[in-house]
Amino acid sequence: MKLSQEAREVLDTAKRHNRVSPEEDRDIEEVVALLPDDRSVLYKNVDSNPIGDFYRYNIHIRIQHLLIFSTFLLLAFTGLPIHYNTAFWAEPFNSVLGGLEVTRVIHRTLAAAMIFAMLYHFVTIGLGSLLKLRARVFELRRTILPVWKDIRDFKEDMQFFRGKRPVRPEMDKFMYKQKIHYFAAGFGNTVMVISGSTFLFPDVWASILPVEMASHFQEMMRLSHPHEALLALLVIAFWHWYNVHLAPGRFPMQWTFLTGKITREHQIEEHFLEYLRCIVTMPEERSYLRKLIESKKMWGTQPHD
Amino acid sequence: MEMLIRWCVAGMLSLFLGYAGAALAFEDDEACLMCHKYPKMGRVTEDGLQKTYYIMPNVFSKTVHRNVPCRDCHSYIKELPHKPVTEGVTCNAECHSIKNPATGKPFSHKPIYDAFKKSVHGREKIAKGNDADKPYCVNCHTNPLYNAKEDKPPKHIIDRCVVCHEDAKFAEKWYNHTSRRIREVKRSSQEIVAMCSSCHADKQMLDRHQQAAKEEGRELGRKFPFAIESYEESFHGKVTKYGNTKAANCLDCHAKTVNYYLSVHELLPSRDPNSPVSAENRVETCKQCHVRADKNYAELDPHPTSKREDNPFKHYAELIYTIVGDSVLLLLVGMAAFETWGRLRDGVSWRFRDGSSWWRRTRRNSNRLP
Repeated sequence: MKLSQEAREVLDTAKRHNRVSPEEDRDIEEVVALLPDDRSVLYKNVDSNPIGDFYRYNIHIRIQHLLIFSTFLLLAFTGLPIHYNTAFWAEPFNSVLGGLEVTRVIHRTLAAAMIFAMLYHFVTIGLGSLLKLRARVFELRRTILPVWKDIRDFKEDMQFFRGKRPVRPEMDKFMYKQKIHYFAAGFGNTVMVISGSTFLFPDVWASILPVEMASHFQEMMRLSHPHEALLALLVIAFWHWYNVHLAPGRFPMQWTFLTGKITREHQIEEHFLEYLRCIVTMPEERSYLRKLIESKKMWGTQPHD
Repeated sequence: MEMLIRWCVAGMLSLFLGYAGAALAFEDDEACLMCHKYPKMGRVTEDGLQKTYYIMPNVFSKTVHRNVPCRDCHSYIKELPHKPVTEGVTCNAECHSIKNPATGKPFSHKPIYDAFKKSVHGREKIAKGNDADKPYCVNCHTNPLYNAKEDKPPKHIIDRCVVCHEDAKFAEKWYNHTSRRIREVKRSSQEIVAMCSSCHADKQMLDRHQQAAKEEGRELGRKFPFAIESYEESFHGKVTKYGNTKAANCLDCHAKTVNYYLSVHELLPSRDPNSPVSAENRVETCKQCHVRADKNYAELDPHPTSKREDNPFKHYAELIYTIVGDSVLLLLVGMAAFETWGRLRDGVSWRFRDGSSWWRRTRRNSNRLP
């Protein structure tokens, strides 16, 4: 496979960061050259472990995800009966918990747990990035931060789905869809925390805002909290769960949130640049590829429509 | 046989006496019960309303007015059978039989009635037009029954009273009278909201008054058309509905805390500077509960709605929120569906089997190799 300029940059950076020996370098280049030009041939022919093949999320990120999703769901299940308190289903639900007053206390307690999870996340990614910067292995393109390439990836991916492109774009550890989701969740959480705090401390917010804004701000927050919550719940139910549980190739679920690992076919299909890093850091992956390419005689395939 | 007849007569007598005892629970010196003891005493008015004039002596004898002879209030009754009643009882009349223990003068509700007349609710007993929608005393004051906590006052208290007040019955009545007032007997927050809602949530009444105000060029409160609806939307309303006793009910803001029981009769519209919710007094009213409240805080809307005529900002903000929210969801779900369609054409399947999800054959040349 002849690498694109971007893929070449990622591969070279990975080699530099991992201080590969000349022998390893030669091995890596040989394996990369052996790869079929059509990447779809590769992700369709590799064998994957459904539990996951490549390390992706560390234990902190997994704990944060568990904390965020459990508090999020419980917050939604306690918040909805507070907001829709007159609905036929809300009153029995509140009664089961001990009445609306109890539901409110549970809701606030869970909110505190979710804020803790958010802070924990900021500390993790902050410290993680600092450590990488110190070790001079920090790569902006490998982070969740949006870059211009994401817009191009999005456009190219849509072209692929329409059948106007032979292969999916070469995407990094986080693809455009994940970045949208991450920042939507981040934005949503921030809105929920700020609007929730205006319910708890309306006087504090009113005193720090200009008088002509105080009431409008409170109104906006009163609107935002339930609207954002409902939107988040629907996005999680119909988009996130579809993407990670129900979509073809992911059904019945990806184990990533528990094992922190991603399957080989998924990594190559949607995170090819990250897969190149795996080729650099994992000699056993290079051996596997050599054997696979030889057994299936896949080399030399050309991209086609 | 003779014995059986004796027992039957004794039984019937005891039943009769028991009934008579109940009927005499309230002293009817004026013989009003001669007619008003009959449960079916009543009529259907010209407006089709069914009116009942039945007095239950054993119930009335437990009310706050039990010691007031009928004609102290129904002073227009001069002979029996009496003439048709036109005006009925007005609560500002003086009682001739009951003296104000503080002044020794005949007792009267006139001072509170005069205060009430100056309020936004003030009306005459016989009111015409839209004034008839306003509450008269009896709309809120329903001659409540004594609800002394104990059936009998504690013996150790009565024992002490009767040292000087020889009549133990008087001491008991005094105890009931005072203990009821020492305990908080005002309506609960939920009851206060229900009481105000009985008029202020009446759509037809609201329409009538808005129409009249428009025709007369008179100003009405901005929240008048949806006072209850918006209160129920607010935090105060929501938590009060579910039994919270600390959140503000209608009277907590619209009446003054100082001399509360007088103030609830003097309710004023918010445009009146003397109203606790006027622009001048609002901060202090909020501060009763929200101790850190300031001028900015008093600007927050305690009766929030999303109606365009009330709050255009919130109305359009909600509209935009709904459109944006629905669009985002639709776009994301659409994107997922489009992606699925594209990937299915690429050969992916829902079933993961033997290490791959890519077993489906496609028209492309890049199928999984054997």
